[in-house]
Amino acid sequence: MNSSQQTQRQESDRQADKKWYSPIFSRPEIGPLGVMLILFAMLGYFSIPEGEFSLNPFSGEGFNALGIRNNFRVIAQLGIVALAAGMLIIAGEFDLSVGSMIGFAGGCMAMILKWGFAIVIPYISFKGGFHFEGLKILEITNVSPLTAILITLCFTLAFGWFQGFLIVKSGIASFIVTLGGLFFLRGVTEVSYRAFNRAPDQTAGSTTVTDLPDIKNIINVPGHGEMERDAAKALPNDQLLEILSTVPAHTIAKITENLTYVNEKVAANKTILAAKKMIGTLEKSLEGAKKSGNESMVEILTKKIEAGVDVPAVAAKAVTDLDIAKAYIDTIITARPVANFFGGDIMEPVFSWLYYTADWNVNLYGNQFAKGMYSCLMIWFLIALACYFILSRTQAGNWIYSTGGNLSAAQANGVPTNKVKISLFMFTAFCATMFAACQVFEVNTADTAKGNLKELEAIAAAVIGGVVLTGGFGTIGGIILGTIIFGIAKEAFFYIPGIDGSFYRVFLGAVLVTAALTNENIRKRIMGSV
Amino acid sequence: MNKKIPLIEIKNLVKRFGNFTALNGVSLDVYPGEVHALLGDNGAGKSTLIKVLAGVHPATSGSIIIDGKEGKFSTPRQATDAGIGTVYQDLALNALTSVTRNFFLGREIKKGPGAFGIMQMKEMDNITIEEMAKIGINISDPTQAVGTMSGGQRQTLAIARAIYFGAKILILDEPTSALGQKQQMEVLKTIKRVQKLGHIAIILITHNEIHARLIADRYTFLSLGEVIGKGLAEELGGDDIKKLMAGGTEIGDLRDELGA
Repeated sequence: MNSSQQTQRQESDRQADKKWYSPIFSRPEIGPLGVMLILFAMLGYFSIPEGEFSLNPFSGEGFNALGIRNNFRVIAQLGIVALAAGMLIIAGEFDLSVGSMIGFAGGCMAMILKWGFAIVIPYISFKGGFHFEGLKILEITNVSPLTAILITLCFTLAFGWFQGFLIVKSGIASFIVTLGGLFFLRGVTEVSYRAFNRAPDQTAGSTTVTDLPDIKNIINVPGHGEMERDAAKALPNDQLLEILSTVPAHTIAKITENLTYVNEKVAANKTILAAKKMIGTLEKSLEGAKKSGNESMVEILTKKIEAGVDVPAVAAKAVTDLDIAKAYIDTIITARPVANFFGGDIMEPVFSWLYYTADWNVNLYGNQFAKGMYSCLMIWFLIALACYFILSRTQAGNWIYSTGGNLSAAQANGVPTNKVKISLFMFTAFCATMFAACQVFEVNTADTAKGNLKELEAIAAAVIGGVVLTGGFGTIGGIILGTIIFGIAKEAFFYIPGIDGSFYRVFLGAVLVTAALTNENIRKRIMGSV
Repeated sequence: MNKKIPLIEIKNLVKRFGNFTALNGVSLDVYPGEVHALLGDNGAGKSTLIKVLAGVHPATSGSIIIDGKEGKFSTPRQATDAGIGTVYQDLALNALTSVTRNFFLGREIKKGPGAFGIMQMKEMDNITIEEMAKIGINISDPTQAVGTMSGGQRQTLAIARAIYFGAKILILDEPTSALGQKQQMEVLKTIKRVQKLGHIAIILITHNEIHARLIADRYTFLSLGEVIGKGLAEELGGDDIKKLMAGGTEIGDLRDELGA
């Protein structure tokens, strides 16, 4: 220790004194956080119908139960690929093939689920004239969802590895290599769709796979085996009652209680709707009377409206055994957990509680509004958690930051930078596959246009969230905020009265450039003080 | 400490690149606790000598003996393992991350499987503060970005890192170039402290004769790939050093030449 030095003026003395709020405002995430809160407020308040002023932002269409469910689906899907894109940019590279990879993975999965999987070696045969034959090495039909995902992962991860390998070994800019990947994969996907749809029972030239069974909703119905939920509910009445006879009494009691609540709620809402309708009619006549100057009529109608209308209360429907049977079928747990993991719903108990107990998740007709959140939200959350952990806590995270921040320094200190980059290209491919799995199992179709432009949206979301394109700088929290901004802007602008909805693009463009300037500024401030 | 035994002995080192002889039989002894200044004009072979010692280029012939053991390096890793720590001019630091993350870059202390092991941040922070303090820099905040540090502090960080990871022979490649006056002094103080630790041999490459005279114990002068002079600091006069640095020619009457 050099005690004489401590009394001297030191380099650190030149820094201005830190205020209590300094640590908050020096975080790169503070800007995106502000923009996100503004967008949330806009969406909340502008989506409240005209004339129904409320301080509660959850009363509008934007943040009612269904609004939350749908908005967070868009955000979560983009979020899955934005995390991968962000991590890759932090390591100093790009991947423009993400969007095409989503289309490819979705097509691959859907085709395997529909037609099975086979490895075929083509060879030339001269028997009966020159032609090609195929030698089938391996063939699986009736592929399970998990197998379909794993086979798809083999393709996508291999492609991601190949792109990364090419980039680190050749030194060609990742922009060009992955731009090649973008065209290549989209082309391969389109060609494959057409080739497989040439079968006699398919629409020739179609670039979609439709008519997949609703895999996530395949359930084990007592006495009937595995079948789709909707098919089970459409069974003849006597069979439904037969199913009901296998259900224990306390379950029936619980279902009956819930159904009674629903029917009463529906009846009550019907009564309110009827009253509203009558008032509406009266108000219309009042306006007509005012226009024609019929004073006595205006007086009568005003009094009537003030007194309010008295509509007879709609009686609640009785709960029948068939209703109970159908409701019971709805509660049967899926027999395909993997498909449900990607394409199903989560947080159903929460949304039920919101309906039955909190009395909020109710639509206009008194039914439950949203069943739950889309599963992709959970997958986004899981991937984000893993990314956060890896980037900020592990050795790999330090390697990723240094690979992007100063490549030669990282190499000089023994960081395997090539491995880091190739792994991240593979991680991008993995995330694109997860995105595709969520889509395929949710809507049970796939088409060649899926994932279009997602590569650019993902990069934009990462940049808005504070990632610097030259690498080495950015956080997972920032990427998440950027994704939410990107996902919510469209909805928020849609509800602003008297404004063209497409202004959201203008807004996003401006936010993107502002964010890039701010990020660069922060980076220079950190780099620059020698 | 017995200063008679050199920590590293370089004997008759020859390095040829094709027809070009970069080093033509260079011999050099460096003792622990001493600063050995390696001086010479551009193209004298200083950089080649460091690169051979650091394992970047293998030697054509000759031997490097460290602690009595013959060293043959074909990769930088082997040189590092043998105890040779090289601090290059660019310092190999990532300015965007914290002091601790740079200190342990590539050699993080972690618990857990492979690259996904959790970094032991507290422990690493403490070691960083301790090691930096040993050679004279007190950093209050090991989480500050390296980019916010001064050039002298960065140099200290790179030196402390090399020593902590087992460097017995520290090669400093022009550590004072591209720094301001005050920071040059800071770096020289740091080198002095390393010298005082007593067990580390320092090879200091520099262009700056004044800096060399401030801290060097021993000199070796290179010119055109050969040693043209060597000696202890107290044996050499200022004029000798000036002359040898310029590769043996007289520059004493430079003033006259310029005046003419």
